[in-house]
Amino acid sequence: MKRSIRQIQKDETREKLLSAAHIVFGQKGIMAARMSDIAEAAGVSHGTVFVHFKTQETLVAAVIDDFGIRMGQRTHDMARNSGSLRDVLKAHLEGIREDEAFYTQLVIETRSLPPIARETMISIQSAVSFHINQAAQREMDAGVIKPMSMALLFNTWIGLVHYYLTNRDLFSPEKSVIETCGSMLIDHFMHMISSAN
Amino acid sequence: MKVCISCGMPMNSPEDFPLGDVSKDYCIHCARPDGSMQSFDEKLQGTTEFIIRTQGFDAKVARESARAMLSRQPAWKSVSQ
Repeated sequence: MKRSIRQIQKDETREKLLSAAHIVFGQKGIMAARMSDIAEAAGVSHGTVFVHFKTQETLVAAVIDDFGIRMGQRTHDMARNSGSLRDVLKAHLEGIREDEAFYTQLVIETRSLPPIARETMISIQSAVSFHINQAAQREMDAGVIKPMSMALLFNTWIGLVHYYLTNRDLFSPEKSVIETCGSMLIDHFMHMISSAN
Repeated sequence: MKVCISCGMPMNSPEDFPLGDVSKDYCIHCARPDGSMQSFDEKLQGTTEFIIRTQGFDAKVARESARAMLSRQPAWKSVSQ
């Protein structure tokens, strides 16, 4: 069905709000950001935000849902182009890098956000763990890395990455922590699990 | 591009589809060996086991998480309530 001009404008404003909210949440924090900050960033009136999202919770849920779909696509693409475990880890960090500020806030605030935040995080981590698991299994079978629990292998990796992200101010105050420390984290992790040790 | 109605996985190429059949609306991971789509209970069980194996969650939490994830997918919106 053809959309009316009014509907097209409405959809565009919604997209603009989602995109502005994504940026503002990354800068100010998801719970700390105000609807007026988002309206200002999107260049619309305060009232317009409420036409599209009745409550801040609805807006938060929509931004997170949108982000989850994007990360799902990115994770899928990364697997297609990655062979070794090292490649998968590198692609994982590159995927986070593209939305580093927002992802970091999500990690920090997940437990105080609506349930959709937790569900989206679990869903993202499930997709990532699936691809890490596949590459790791191949390398365990080939004797390249030590045999170990898949859950612990994944949790050790994600714990390391999240620790650096949530403490960016300590490791890389001026720029992306993935940019500053990403290669070091991959080298360290691969060294830890390598059978050569 | 299609997205699996059962798990939400993007399906970009024939190997993402059951038996390479691109007319299907569900992915290879949501199909039985004969190419038919897994039931909700089969998918819930498989996803729960997967979460436990790859992320180490408590069994009950893993099942609840799997149910929450699946309930957002078009195929299961009505059956997972």
